[in-house]
Amino acid sequence: MRTLVIGGGASGKSEYAEELFSGLSGRKYYIATMMPYGEDSLWRIEKHRQARRNRGFFTLEHYVDIGALRLPERGAALLECLGNLTANELFSRGLGEDQAFESIVAGINALALQCEDLVVVTNEVFSGGNRYDEGTLAYIRTLGRVNAAIAARFDRVFEVVCGIPAAIKG
Amino acid sequence: MILVVGGLASGKRSYVKSEYGFSDEQISSSISENFPVLFDLQEIINTDEDSERIFPALLNKRVVICTDIGCGIVPLDPAEREKREAVGRLCIRLAREAERVVRIHCGLPQILKD
Repeated sequence: MRTLVIGGGASGKSEYAEELFSGLSGRKYYIATMMPYGEDSLWRIEKHRQARRNRGFFTLEHYVDIGALRLPERGAALLECLGNLTANELFSRGLGEDQAFESIVAGINALALQCEDLVVVTNEVFSGGNRYDEGTLAYIRTLGRVNAAIAARFDRVFEVVCGIPAAIKG
Repeated sequence: MILVVGGLASGKRSYVKSEYGFSDEQISSSISENFPVLFDLQEIINTDEDSERIFPALLNKRVVICTDIGCGIVPLDPAEREKREAVGRLCIRLAREAERVVRIHCGLPQILKD
């Protein structure tokens, strides 16, 4: 079963994805994509690490090129999140929009083939207006394309609002 | 308490008035006043401490209306980020306690909890 979870900032999407993930069987791989950069991201990473502690998740930190990731054995994987991954592919690895899109979608497909269950978290960043610089617009366009491509392939899509999941698909 | 959320100009107040029979005079953006409906919750929250202070008063409202501010690009300004997180977390807490949670899209209600 492949599940996409989307939500805005502080919507409760991570908590819901981890709740879904906790209910799955087999070895559990948590794939973290947030590059440690600045105090704020360190704080977030630490917050999420603490939340995962003692839950039996095996954490893999992988910031770009998810297609290169090999899970040691089959099981369940939770990837968090496509928003970071898109930013990393565009701004750290320096890929163009099309290349970033293809790298992420192919990478998620490759990952899906390596596990029984996959939960992917992504961000709703599309409703804050459109007065952004070109780099940010490139990011928004790419993430929007990635979300649509993954949602089309996955079995279930949930949107989390105020901590409450609403099914969009499945 | 009923929690109503949605984007700017999505029809939240119109829904509250038509669905629950409240009038404009019963809707206020000030927590201290004794109105049954609070709107623009996001305008009075900047930190988790703000949430903590007014949480009991919010539970006593009949309806709490909040505009979604978490669905844009993460703000560069740390204070704006903190506000965005605080409003999101408060809405999760309110949703847990609410008897009903409604999200308005294009003026149409989506019942998230009932």
